[in-house]
Amino acid sequence: MSDVITDQVSDSDNGNPRERMEPDEITKMKDRIYDDIIGMVTDMLAISPTDIHPETTMIDDLGLDSLQMYEMVIDLEGAYDIRIPDESLEKVTMVKDVVDLVYQLTTLN
Amino acid sequence: MNNDELNFAESLLHIFNNVLLTEEKALSKGYFSDLSIAELHTINAIGPYGSRTMSETASLLGITTGTLTVAIDRLVKKKYVERKRDEKDRRIVRIFLSKQGKLAYRIHSKFHSLLVKRIMEPLNSEEQALLSQMVGNIDQFVSEQYEKYSDEERYKQIIGKPQRGKLGGKENV
Repeated sequence: MSDVITDQVSDSDNGNPRERMEPDEITKMKDRIYDDIIGMVTDMLAISPTDIHPETTMIDDLGLDSLQMYEMVIDLEGAYDIRIPDESLEKVTMVKDVVDLVYQLTTLN
Repeated sequence: MNNDELNFAESLLHIFNNVLLTEEKALSKGYFSDLSIAELHTINAIGPYGSRTMSETASLLGITTGTLTVAIDRLVKKKYVERKRDEKDRRIVRIFLSKQGKLAYRIHSKFHSLLVKRIMEPLNSEEQALLSQMVGNIDQFVSEQYEKYSDEERYKQIIGKPQRGKLGGKENV
């Protein structure tokens, strides 16, 4: 998981609280978010965590409907004390997109 | 009224009725079929984040706290809303949405955003701004009328007779 997601921390992070984080702190945080998402999805769909990878798509591969997607969003909002607007969900396709979105919103707080 | 005005009046009434009817149909066929439109609007007024007092929520909905209490009792029973005492002032009851309530809120919001998207998509940015401004004007006018009649109700309760215009005749709409 880590190698897939940490490489997305770019120069655009300048000026953001994220730039104060060490790379392995970022990796740890993204891994934690990823694990939480895996936990939520496996609970919801009763599937094995090994069936999910960062590139797994939420709708086509996992078959999440809008209700299940919102259920996960509400759980993530509660767990990370963030607000996930509908507009940002439109850009989410894969599990790693959700990780990045939650990471961005958490570090913006 | 000329023909254009008649068409406009008819369209306004259709929009009002059809939005409500569509919401109601979508509700009855969906996951939240145990909710009425009024209950969904109460859920919307509470909002998905944080909590509200009963009086705040009643004022947002334009109803009395007594009426709201009945609605909240029902929503608590259906597990969409939860109640708790304010930590600083135990006399105040705060209401907030349960996970189920938040889900209903988000699905309902999605209905609204899809509706707006469909209306706005064929328009360019100038047309969108113009439409938004015109609808805003209609909203303001209707809200003013609502306020006026709400004042009238309050006035009737205090004085016991209808409020008159400055000239003592029928009030102007």
